[in-house]
Amino acid sequence: MATTTTPPRRKPPSRASVAINYPLDWLEERSGLVGGVKYFLFRKVPGDTNWMQTLGSATLTAFLIQAVTGVVLAMYYKPSPNEAYASIVHITNDVTLGWLVRGMHKWGASLFIILMFLHMGRVFLFGAYKYPRELNWIVGALLIPIGLFEGFTGYLLPWDQTAYWATVVGININGTAPFLGPFIAQFLQGGAEIGPDTLSRFYSLHMLLLPGAIIGLILLHLYLVVRLGVSSPPWSKEAAGMERPEDVQSGNGRPGLTRPTRRGGDA
Amino acid sequence: MDPHGPEHRPHVPSPSLWPVGFAIGVAILLTGLVVGWWIVALGGIIAVVFAFLWIRDIGSETRAAAEPELVEGAAPVAPGEPVALPLTADDDIERFPRSKFLEASTIGVGAVIGGLVTLPVLGFAVLPAFSATEDHNIDVGGVDEFPEGEWRIVTFLQNPDEGEVSRRTTFIRYNGQLDGDPSFTIIANNCAHLGCPVQPSGPIADEDKQEDEIEGQVITRIPAQPAAFSCPCHGGAYDLEGNRTAGPPVRALDRFAFAINGGRLVLTSRYSVGTVEGEGKDAVITKYGQVPPGVHVDGPEQFLYPIEPPN
Amino acid sequence: MATGVDRRRAEFKRYKEDVESRGKPFFPYAMWHDTVMSLVVVLLAIGLACIWYFDSGEDPEDVGILGPRYTAEADPGTVSFIPRPDWFFFFLFYLLRIFKWPESVVLGTVGIPTLCLILLLALPFLDVRPERRILRRPVALVAGVLVIISMGVLTYKGATAEEGGAAGGDVVEQWMTAGDLPEEARPGAELVAESGCLNCHTYRGAGSSNFGAPDLTQIGAQGQGVDFFHRYVANPRDFGNTVMPVYESLGEENLDAIATFLDASKNP
Repeated sequence: MATTTTPPRRKPPSRASVAINYPLDWLEERSGLVGGVKYFLFRKVPGDTNWMQTLGSATLTAFLIQAVTGVVLAMYYKPSPNEAYASIVHITNDVTLGWLVRGMHKWGASLFIILMFLHMGRVFLFGAYKYPRELNWIVGALLIPIGLFEGFTGYLLPWDQTAYWATVVGININGTAPFLGPFIAQFLQGGAEIGPDTLSRFYSLHMLLLPGAIIGLILLHLYLVVRLGVSSPPWSKEAAGMERPEDVQSGNGRPGLTRPTRRGGDA
Repeated sequence: MDPHGPEHRPHVPSPSLWPVGFAIGVAILLTGLVVGWWIVALGGIIAVVFAFLWIRDIGSETRAAAEPELVEGAAPVAPGEPVALPLTADDDIERFPRSKFLEASTIGVGAVIGGLVTLPVLGFAVLPAFSATEDHNIDVGGVDEFPEGEWRIVTFLQNPDEGEVSRRTTFIRYNGQLDGDPSFTIIANNCAHLGCPVQPSGPIADEDKQEDEIEGQVITRIPAQPAAFSCPCHGGAYDLEGNRTAGPPVRALDRFAFAINGGRLVLTSRYSVGTVEGEGKDAVITKYGQVPPGVHVDGPEQFLYPIEPPN
Repeated sequence: MATGVDRRRAEFKRYKEDVESRGKPFFPYAMWHDTVMSLVVVLLAIGLACIWYFDSGEDPEDVGILGPRYTAEADPGTVSFIPRPDWFFFFLFYLLRIFKWPESVVLGTVGIPTLCLILLLALPFLDVRPERRILRRPVALVAGVLVIISMGVLTYKGATAEEGGAAGGDVVEQWMTAGDLPEEARPGAELVAESGCLNCHTYRGAGSSNFGAPDLTQIGAQGQGVDFFHRYVANPRDFGNTVMPVYESLGEENLDAIATFLDASKNP
């Protein structure tokens, strides 16, 4: 009774697409990761997102620059008071493109901090710290002092006059905190005064503990962004989530009361 | 997976320990190639014995497989299908179900592990905040190298083993004799506000610098004529006894205690100072244990810092 | 009755629906913007590194637009170096210069920064209104503008804060030329440059201004005479100045030299 139609002939998959899809399918069946990446890439975001909303990923790029250049620098840097300065001079002047790696790390740090603050300002401007994104704001607000502390610990590593004395003052500032201050200062110094353990301690903080914390918090931050969605600019006429006149009229007719439904349907 | 029956079932050997022994024998033989020949022989004997037992077993099994045995009442199971296990017969509800015990003990053991790992690590990281530094006695020169009433800027290594990182600077003035003993004013140059290097307010005669090698380290003495001491960072100012006269420093400059050993000036321990009354050899110094810059030692603010780390 | 929580949940649900129905896939639409910005960031980092390197030299004194490659090796015993933090701490650094009284130091070092951090973390709990348009959030707008302006001003002031302390040797030459000073003023100029006067006074842009100490560039223009300066510097207490140190111990010769220099400092 149903008319039979021949189904449209499908072209056999090309060799290239098989070459790409076969390993991806293999991986997906065994881990589910490919699906996760596809979800991240092809998820829907509001159509009216602004250029200002690229600051977050720009900050992430700056951090990645720091991580990569930092790893390379660590291959040449020697964290001992007797050798640190000489190793920095060596990296800057002798090692092939060492100046570029060190320069990118040094200026990348400033870029990272600037972008963090700009990103925070953008989120504040958009009111994107409000429900349900409060937790994301808190994670971000924790990232700021950790990022600044990364800058502080990294500043000591060249062990030149600027580094040493800025650190003396910085540690003593922490030391002025009531009650715990002197203990915090001694913890940072690794002793009663700045000594050889101070540099190692700062190096360990700068390379291991703080980047670990930053990476963990960034992952949480990104997860929350994907889960909660990117907000539309609040001034946008097409902002996602905005109450529309037709929504107010649906429902049981009382103004301001809305039962959320698919738009156009009845409550 | 062959659904057709036991005749098509591939032969799976029954469990046996002979291969293990054989493997051990081979391993010992290979080790002996490196260590010594008698071990090779020992390994070889073990391997041969277990190989013989293994082959004998395979032989007897092959003969047995040709005549399949049917176990009474047991259905042959095709490989790959799950075997039904007998259910737990006990249906009683226990008063202390085992799962509760397991939950509690898992968390408990986890807590113990957590404690065992983190406490020593934390202690390692935090303990330096509670450790005292050793005092090193530093010989900075003969008493006659310090003319009376003149200041010298003296730098030395507080802890020679640590090297340059322990270099400290002091301002030293010989005040003449007090009751038969030499009196020195020895002031450290770390500002009591936030630790910036304090400078002498007056001309410094760099060209008259003296350098001495004493007890394995280089001591430098530079003449200067300060009228006061001042700090460039935030404008802290001190008088010639180290008392704060202006600016944000919260107490006087630290000083060093000293001893005279055979006519030589030896710096012993460093201490923090509240105020200094009087001048030169008649100075009366209120002395406290050494505290970091920014920490009040007297006045109402001292209660902001009730406990000090030992040093 | 729609409570606040219900309304927020309803709005979020609407948001999800709108995005599903009218949104665009992140890749390539939004990710394109992200990638372009990231390229800008990487190019900036490389560009700054290149300018910094090629405009400076191996010697720490060889300083370019973006600063030296490194300063001299750390010397814990120095008497002449003036500490400065990294630029993004300049606002804290200048905050410290504001709190000059010993009792108030704690406010500037830990009090204010800690308070600001707590407010930052607690922001979503302080502002619970659902309104997101900035022009309808007056408190947020004012607070945001104030924070940006104050951090900007503090950072700028921190960056341009004069350095006190002993000035380098060439600065005397510059003073002699710029002020057209007679040669007999030179010994006094050198003394003033190295004796810590610049910790509180400024002179032709060098030094730092503290405790109301006047700029000395044209201090001689009022014609008070060499003798006046000699007596003042020897004992400021005689003139009612309780802050400046007493320099009597410098000796007659040094005080004469300083007084000559100060008296000669008349020209702009």
